[in-house]
Amino acid sequence: MKCGFDKELLTAWLNDQLTGEERASVDTHVAGCEDCRRELENSRRIWGLMDDIPSPEPPAGTLVRFNAMLDTYKDSVAADERAPGVWRKLRQLFILQPGFAVAYSLLLIVAGLGLGHWLGGSGGTAAAGGADKQQLAALTTQVSEMRELMMKSLLQNPSASERIKGISYTSEITKVDKSVIEALLTTLNDDPNVNVRLMTLEALTHYASNPAVRAGLVESIGQQESPLVQAAMADVMLNLQEKNAIKPLRKLLQQKNLNALVRNKVEAAIARLI
Amino acid sequence: MLKVRSGDLDKMALLFHRHHRPLYGFLFHMTRQKEASEDMLQNVFYRMLRSRHTFTGEGDFKTWMYFIARNVIKDHVKKTSRDPGFHDMSELAGKIGADVRTDEQVERKLEIKALQQALGCLSPDSREVLILSRFQELRHEEIARVLDISVGAVKVRIHRAINQLKELYLSSEREMK
Repeated sequence: MKCGFDKELLTAWLNDQLTGEERASVDTHVAGCEDCRRELENSRRIWGLMDDIPSPEPPAGTLVRFNAMLDTYKDSVAADERAPGVWRKLRQLFILQPGFAVAYSLLLIVAGLGLGHWLGGSGGTAAAGGADKQQLAALTTQVSEMRELMMKSLLQNPSASERIKGISYTSEITKVDKSVIEALLTTLNDDPNVNVRLMTLEALTHYASNPAVRAGLVESIGQQESPLVQAAMADVMLNLQEKNAIKPLRKLLQQKNLNALVRNKVEAAIARLI
Repeated sequence: MLKVRSGDLDKMALLFHRHHRPLYGFLFHMTRQKEASEDMLQNVFYRMLRSRHTFTGEGDFKTWMYFIARNVIKDHVKKTSRDPGFHDMSELAGKIGADVRTDEQVERKLEIKALQQALGCLSPDSREVLILSRFQELRHEEIARVLDISVGAVKVRIHRAINQLKELYLSSEREMK
């Protein structure tokens, strides 16, 4: 039986938006109502977990760009006060667009890289470098082969964490062959753990230029039952602009028990792929 | 901001210093695109400078800033004709990095990854209200001013969003059991 308690109060409890009286009423109610207690516990867990979603720092150079924009703007305001009407409009059109500041910063970076490349390329002896390079290439191949073996063996491990570690090895394998792709696709389709499947999907997207990977991904759409993987699949297909995915995505929509949010996402993906 | 409005444009640097980190976080959580978020960050401050005369001082600066940031995001989405929910797979945080070694750390990272995926499934409206409340730590009254809706509507939206998030996230857990 469902209780008639105001569930919005349970949500407001999470972000500390209740008066002392309301908070006390929630606490008293959940102490005696099993359903509401479970609901609040689940919400609290997710609310707490959201705290761990990383917020990245703004990239280096953000402040420099802001200062450049502010200086340009100040100059334009000062010039505006002096300039006649037509010039004012032209300045607003061309100078004030932040895009110009972006283009300027990019130009500086490209020029810097070009200079570095030019200076770096002019030194060193070619013969000595050649032998070193060969040795390095041989070593790199050996390490890559070892990682491939490790990866395949970890993917068979009963622990989900170990399988995840196996998948993370793929980013360090330089040459991905057919057997690696097959191992990943099998994991994507058959692994019992939804997080492992999500991780595998992400790893596979790095090799999306390979036709076998694309075909495997499209085929896998119909095999996914978890809403999260289904949604991630729709994302990937849209990012890859994979038109072959339209058919299996449509088939997914025919499932009666498809999660409503996933349905929206799949419909939006199909609309953009057509 | 009132000083900026009356012509002391250098005071904008102070506001940038104080608010650019949380604002960048908001733009990133909404779009999950690092570079575009930085462009949008600059754009928000640029627009605030340009429309400084519209800041009346009645509401506080923070809500005005997020109000403008929402418009910048809308323009960005329109320009790239891409729903912010459709993030780049490479932008998904929670990759297994060198700092993650124990099984518990891996599990935790994966939980966060699944939650991020679930957050990406929400409609932009639901996602926005959760981000403003959870990450930006805005009060219901502040969110209501940013979104130009009633406080009651904010409560309903947050409640609905958290339930949708729970349903998606817990479905992946149920499957594992």
